[in-house]
Amino acid sequence: MGRRRQRVDPAAGARAGALPEAIAALSRSLPSGPSPEIFRRAKFDRPEATSALWQLLFRVLSPLPVGNALASLALEAQAHLVKSALCSQGYPRLALAQLPEDGSQGSRELLLALSWLLARGPVPEQMLAQARVPLGDEMTVCQCEALASPGPPAPHMEAEGPVDVRRVQWLMGKLQFRWRQLVSSQQEQCALLSKIHLYTRGCHSDQSLGHLSVTEAEMLRDPEGGQQLLQTLERENQRLEAVLAWRHTELVFWRWMDTVLGTCAPEVPAAASQPTFLPWVPERGGGELELVVRELQALEEELREAVERRRAAWEAKAGGCGRGPEWSAARRASREAVEKELGALQQCWKQDSGPARPHGPHRLVRREDGAAGERDLRAAEVIRTLRSQEACLEAVLRRLQGQCRQELARLVGALPGLIWIPPPGR
Amino acid sequence: MLPADCSRRLVAELQGALDACAQRQLQLEQSLRVCRRLLQAWEPTGTWALKPPPGPETNEEDPLPACTPSPQDLKELEFLTQALEKAVRVRRGITKAGERDKAPSLKSRSIVTSPGTTASAPPQSRGQAGQAGGHASDTRPTKGLRQTAVPAKGHAERRLLSVGDRTRVGMGARAPRPGAGLRDQQMAPSAAPQAPEAFTLKEKGHLLRLPAAFRKAASQNSSLWAQLGSTQTSDSMDATAAKTQFLQNMQTASGVPQPRLSAAEVEAEAGRLRKACSLLRLRMREELSAAPMDWMQEYRCLLTLEGLQAMVGQCLHRLQELRAAVVVQPPRPCPVEGPPRASPSCRGGAEPAWSPQLLVYSSTQELQTLAALQLRVAMLDQQIHLEKVLMAELLPLVSTAQPQGPPWLALCRAAHSLLCEGGARVLTILRDEPAV
Repeated sequence: MGRRRQRVDPAAGARAGALPEAIAALSRSLPSGPSPEIFRRAKFDRPEATSALWQLLFRVLSPLPVGNALASLALEAQAHLVKSALCSQGYPRLALAQLPEDGSQGSRELLLALSWLLARGPVPEQMLAQARVPLGDEMTVCQCEALASPGPPAPHMEAEGPVDVRRVQWLMGKLQFRWRQLVSSQQEQCALLSKIHLYTRGCHSDQSLGHLSVTEAEMLRDPEGGQQLLQTLERENQRLEAVLAWRHTELVFWRWMDTVLGTCAPEVPAAASQPTFLPWVPERGGGELELVVRELQALEEELREAVERRRAAWEAKAGGCGRGPEWSAARRASREAVEKELGALQQCWKQDSGPARPHGPHRLVRREDGAAGERDLRAAEVIRTLRSQEACLEAVLRRLQGQCRQELARLVGALPGLIWIPPPGR
Repeated sequence: MLPADCSRRLVAELQGALDACAQRQLQLEQSLRVCRRLLQAWEPTGTWALKPPPGPETNEEDPLPACTPSPQDLKELEFLTQALEKAVRVRRGITKAGERDKAPSLKSRSIVTSPGTTASAPPQSRGQAGQAGGHASDTRPTKGLRQTAVPAKGHAERRLLSVGDRTRVGMGARAPRPGAGLRDQQMAPSAAPQAPEAFTLKEKGHLLRLPAAFRKAASQNSSLWAQLGSTQTSDSMDATAAKTQFLQNMQTASGVPQPRLSAAEVEAEAGRLRKACSLLRLRMREELSAAPMDWMQEYRCLLTLEGLQAMVGQCLHRLQELRAAVVVQPPRPCPVEGPPRASPSCRGGAEPAWSPQLLVYSSTQELQTLAALQLRVAMLDQQIHLEKVLMAELLPLVSTAQPQGPPWLALCRAAHSLLCEGGARVLTILRDEPAV
């Protein structure tokens, strides 16, 4: 086995153990990763390797940390969800979707799927970051994982049937109440957090932090829990080391995967000419497209009107201007400047990654002078950003509400014999 | 009554929002419980008081049982305490005069170097006694020593010595006084179970110290994450090339030369176009509200508006393309139900920062303002989404309802309240009967 591998990867400068080392590092770096033996068996499409790979794929693709509920799903259910998720990410091979879900065969295909995911993104790092032990008091600044973004419809749904609109009003009111509750709880928590930081200042071994976090203080208060925390931290360290080892040795793994892919027969696409299509329509995705289309159309309408007006006014005013060379030069200059500006604007949404706005959770640190390093955020700046965001969103909401007001007025205004008394203003 | 499908969608949407709120509330309350408990007096439970510090010398994995020590331990401790008592007497004779003035601060600072919470219980008994005067402080330790029940297990000696070293490290000018360290350390085994004063974070919080094993693990952790961050950015070219090659091979092996548009990509693109819409709209607002000074500016304004119009057209075109791509294909054997929600961009972000960054605040007000604003922005986001959903559901109903009797009026009233007032206020409808 080793000799054959050496012939296959001569350029890797491999010692006999380079590939097993890489695979071992990979399996140590993934949560409950399968043993290197599984990988080897999967290359030969051995059935016994299948269920371990299904489970691993399930853990990798699950967007939430796999809690007890998810982990206890039957293999069939896990395999099913893995297929959905790979489909939605655009996995190219058809063979995967056709695999039986009982774990009886298909380990080579699953190995290919795993490698495909590994090649597309830093999977072990992402999984570590997801399961990370937060030692500090974390606060997330960006809105990516915002509570506000409504998820898919809750699995438990009330009796489906026509409801009275008053129920909708009631639900809305309940929602407002819950938000108010959240705000007051949050304020209390901030006050307590701030106190704890204040009282423990000067304690931390790390000077840049200066005080303990709740997790750390809790660890001191409750040493048993502290032991658990320590053990989890040490396990995380081990996985981190494995990930670093993987990154150093992964080249030989990719060469190997190319050979694995070579042993598979090339697939024939289902139809001769296939337009781009999605296998299924997620209810939310479709709805999202529609909303955006509607918004853009409304904007288009507004712009059209504004442009017509301005163009007419301009023609009337500038019609009499000379057509001299300095005039056309000035026009050209303006045109170029505008093009550049708009090009920059376009970049704002074209790019995948957002602007320099930092992502992810930040550790809260209290400092009397508020001094912060380069990569750190200052609360005052974040507050400024949030205020401007707030103003923006409020404007959007008011505009939408104004639109509704107009629309409703139009719909009901035609009726005679009714007086509409708006509620007293704020 | 609203039609069934409309009801289902509205209720589902609102219920989802309510559930998300409830979940967040639960997390907050959990956190609040922990914080409140930390700020109250810490109960001197047997375990934490008696656990020896998990230093590099020890390899203990499980905490010591807080129970009766073995006879051998007691004997060892007896020897130890006798030795220490003697030291106390010697010390007392030498430093009594000088100590009294500086007693409180010295004692509290020397305790600082002891790791873990074993230090937190003794200081107050010593410190307060010290404040009261010299005599009380001396009787205390001896009494405490006799009543000790700590299973020292031979760690105590090593601990004393190591504390002596640490005393030097931690105390600066006062450092070269191992005696002081010893004398104060002797309190650790004794006073813990007997400490009547409870430990509060407010008074003694600044005396805490994290255990050494934890410190080591934590610093290792942050350095490993930092290494990970640096290898990410300087990824080996070969590895990246090999990965790209592999992906391409996968693609060609599957028979479809171009990758299909995946659901995740459609969603991502729709999000980008939504962002585009709001940016374009913002720009339009700016242009329309600016008052042009001269014809040059007016010309530029006009050009900008026309440019914006063209861009909106492009976006719409792209959306039509996406729409066309979203087609259900029966022969494709793919499951109907959706996967769990696609991972948010934060998780698989382009430049995830692996080592945590800091968010520095300077006062409680600032933190509270920050948190409140964050919630407000999240809430506004949600409100806007709900507004769009409600508009999509309710406005058609109002416009198409034919019999325009009282039920329809009620619907109008509710629609107005929900759509225009955020459900907070309701308008009144008066029937204006023609005069008889």
